[in-house]
Amino acid sequence: MLIIGLVGAALVGPLYTWRNSDTVSVRRFGIASAVAVAGAAVSPIAMGQCGFAAEATGVDALFAYGLMAGGALLALMALQALFDRADGKVKESTAMAGEIRTGGYRMGWWVPWLLLSPTLIILLVFLYRPAVETFTLSTQLTRLGAPKSVDVCFSNFTEVLIDNPFKLVLYPLLAIGAVYGARFWTRRSLPGSASHRAAGVASVAAMLSVFVALYAMFSPGGGGQIAYRPIYINTVIISVGIVALGMIGGLAVAYLAFRDIRGGTLYRTLLIWPYAISPAVAGVLFFMIFDPTAGVFTHVMDSWFGIDVPNYREHAVLAQGAIILASAWKILGYNILFYLAGLQTVPIDQIEAAVIDGASAWQRFTKIVLPALSPITFFLLVTNLTYAFFEVYATIDFMTKGAPAGKTSVAIYEIIRVGVNNGDLGRGAAQSVLLFIAVIGVTLWQFRTSGSRVSYGGA
Amino acid sequence: MKYRILLLVAAVSLIAAACGGDSDPTTTTAAPGDGGTSAAPGEVIDIDFWVAFSDEARLGFAEDRAAEFNTKHPEYNIEVTSFASYNDAFDAAVLAVDSGEPPGIIHFFEAATRQALDAVGADGNPIFKSVTEAIAGRSEILGEPVVLDSVVSAARDYYTVDGSFYSMPWNTSTTVMFNNMDMLKAAGVNEPPETWGDVEDACEAIMGMADAPSGCITWPNHSWFVEQSLGQQGELLGNADNGRSGRATEVYLESDGMLNYVGWWKELADNGYYTYTGLQRDWDGTSNAYIAEEVAMLIYSSSDTTFFDENTTFDNQASFMPRNEDVAYVGNLIGGATLWMLDGMDTATQDGALAFMNFFSNPANAAAWHQLTGYVPITQDAVDLLQGEGWYDESPNSKVASDQLAAAENTPASLGALLGNFVGIRDVITIAIEDILVNDLDVATRMAQANEEANKSLSEYEQLYGG
Repeated sequence: MLIIGLVGAALVGPLYTWRNSDTVSVRRFGIASAVAVAGAAVSPIAMGQCGFAAEATGVDALFAYGLMAGGALLALMALQALFDRADGKVKESTAMAGEIRTGGYRMGWWVPWLLLSPTLIILLVFLYRPAVETFTLSTQLTRLGAPKSVDVCFSNFTEVLIDNPFKLVLYPLLAIGAVYGARFWTRRSLPGSASHRAAGVASVAAMLSVFVALYAMFSPGGGGQIAYRPIYINTVIISVGIVALGMIGGLAVAYLAFRDIRGGTLYRTLLIWPYAISPAVAGVLFFMIFDPTAGVFTHVMDSWFGIDVPNYREHAVLAQGAIILASAWKILGYNILFYLAGLQTVPIDQIEAAVIDGASAWQRFTKIVLPALSPITFFLLVTNLTYAFFEVYATIDFMTKGAPAGKTSVAIYEIIRVGVNNGDLGRGAAQSVLLFIAVIGVTLWQFRTSGSRVSYGGA
Repeated sequence: MKYRILLLVAAVSLIAAACGGDSDPTTTTAAPGDGGTSAAPGEVIDIDFWVAFSDEARLGFAEDRAAEFNTKHPEYNIEVTSFASYNDAFDAAVLAVDSGEPPGIIHFFEAATRQALDAVGADGNPIFKSVTEAIAGRSEILGEPVVLDSVVSAARDYYTVDGSFYSMPWNTSTTVMFNNMDMLKAAGVNEPPETWGDVEDACEAIMGMADAPSGCITWPNHSWFVEQSLGQQGELLGNADNGRSGRATEVYLESDGMLNYVGWWKELADNGYYTYTGLQRDWDGTSNAYIAEEVAMLIYSSSDTTFFDENTTFDNQASFMPRNEDVAYVGNLIGGATLWMLDGMDTATQDGALAFMNFFSNPANAAAWHQLTGYVPITQDAVDLLQGEGWYDESPNSKVASDQLAAAENTPASLGALLGNFVGIRDVITIAIEDILVNDLDVATRMAQANEEANKSLSEYEQLYGG
């Protein structure tokens, strides 16, 4: 089993170099082959080939191959950078940086490293070392204060997924195929034609198919597996809700507050306040508002309008809505701040020209203001999503504790519940690796899709 | 050239500063007088006491006693630090042991007794030391009388593992029911309900009133109440006599007692009698509902007896936790926390910690603690003192918890379980119950699923800690 992976790496190495290098030679193919094998061998050596052991499942083997492929690819990418340097093939941006760097080289190559070392040491100790430890922990069954820990291979990961290795490969391939297919269709069809519009619809559908593929890959529970599918759904609903409400609300408020109003500076400052509040306090505030016993909202609805508001914690939709509302409200001030700054960069002359041309307020907003704000929107999309993924724990813990029956338990809440409250460090670490991959994936995707459409003004 | 040297000096000093910051704590750790060696005469010995309370009343009590002890024994300085929860204090203690600066005493809860006994530091040695062993038969330490022999039997039996007290009992309570007698009497119920059937009858009467409250009864969805009911019905939660004759390797979440209790709970909820606040472990919400007269009855910890006496505007009467009338009553168990002493202190420091713990629960302090909160007086001497003062005639509700514990038989079922990963198993139980209450699921099916999860959790724990 292991040999198949290594042979595969040995074959892929030269192929990769052949595709990416300007100059090719037998020597380079040999080096690439060796480097790919070395890269692929790192993970089986580190983990004792557990993915190919007799009792390992097909999914375990899949993980093992996946890690080998990842290791080989990283090694090849590093090698390619060396080849490119040897070929003198340096990209424009790096060439510029190189010119600036030459000043440092006059004093010896080690001077920049020496100057960087305080930062590097801090990064190593407080960022990279814990990150590496998280990966190690994620392959173990371990607890704080335990006399020993047990290596469990990939089981902390495989138990949140379905147990069919073929489907686990097939679903992501189908989704990626759909995305690339839709992109191909969009490029080939003429803008304005019916085919182009249909391609637009297909792109959206392809994007959704990624969510569906992930949904199908997570285990619904039962048979010793962990029911991670509901947590995935909660995370998608709540994160998308927070980002959508927080950004649309933020832009709307900022657009209104941007006008010349008497005392505008003070007013705009006050709008930013919710951002200064911690997620825990936001949770307590909204708990106080909607609590069925002591809540202000329920009291007012009941005594003024005679409406009996149900306990939000007993209904999935209400509970998720309450979490989204509280979290979006908290991030609103941050979004307003950035949109207010962004609105100042919208070119006034263009708007004036549009007014003369008879464009309506809505047209001016969608055709001029929104595109001008796109860098800010893109930046906020990334930060808001990070917030929705990582910082909602306290809000949820105060408002619902995951109620009703886990319907508001999102990925980060589950990580802390399992890893910290129940002391199951291995599972907690594995789930945070999953969340880490999710954030990296979503951010890369945003860079590829929205990044290309972002206008930074200028040329 | 000059510039270059200047730059180098700057860089080197930066690195020195960065490394210096790192190495400082290490030097302090290695400093003498901290761990193995005895302090020089005349020097004040610091003992850290980590308390898992953060409210003013209970944390304040601990701080006041520490201050009194420091005045009485100027050679010691007990330093109280507050933690948000038992788990926070425990995790911090394990990490502090590994980094070489452990506290002297930490406050840790009953359900994690197994976990505390099992905990080892990075060197593989147990973190805590048995207080019985450390006291070694002395009847007083530094002039403070040892109170361990006087500890009330319910707490003694719960915390005695392998024939010895590992930790020093402090806050100990049991579940009692608080009754709004004004409301019950208005509905024609003159005595607090004693059994499940009585509760249903009372609820039917209350909910039939013209000005009926929004619900009849509530209690937090906390596994402790489930464990109490199992004790009442004489059912074990874990094998090996609830983990008391050996290590428990199996839990029973599908027992008859469990299905009876959860089934009764669901029936109350289905009939609109039980009010679920929608949160697990919701002590505040349930307590508020009772105080706001939204329910007539509240099953709760006796730890808040004084609070309810002082904060209710109606006739508030405490009674035993209602039991299942179809099976013989065996007994309720305790809950709460004890003080664990860390291993590795020198004799003088350890004696200071022991003296403080015995001072902390001396009759006067134990009685004051009981009066402040409602936790049971932890020693018989404290009970006698309170009796002499006429406290129980003055506040009869405060006696209910002690009476209920005294009525219990001393069996493994009513002692409560010692389980590994008990916190995780409790979590499995409360999530299952929430699922049943909110989503109207079949009790037996859902508890079977919970049973599978809990047993997996326990067997993983035993894989790490067991033999």
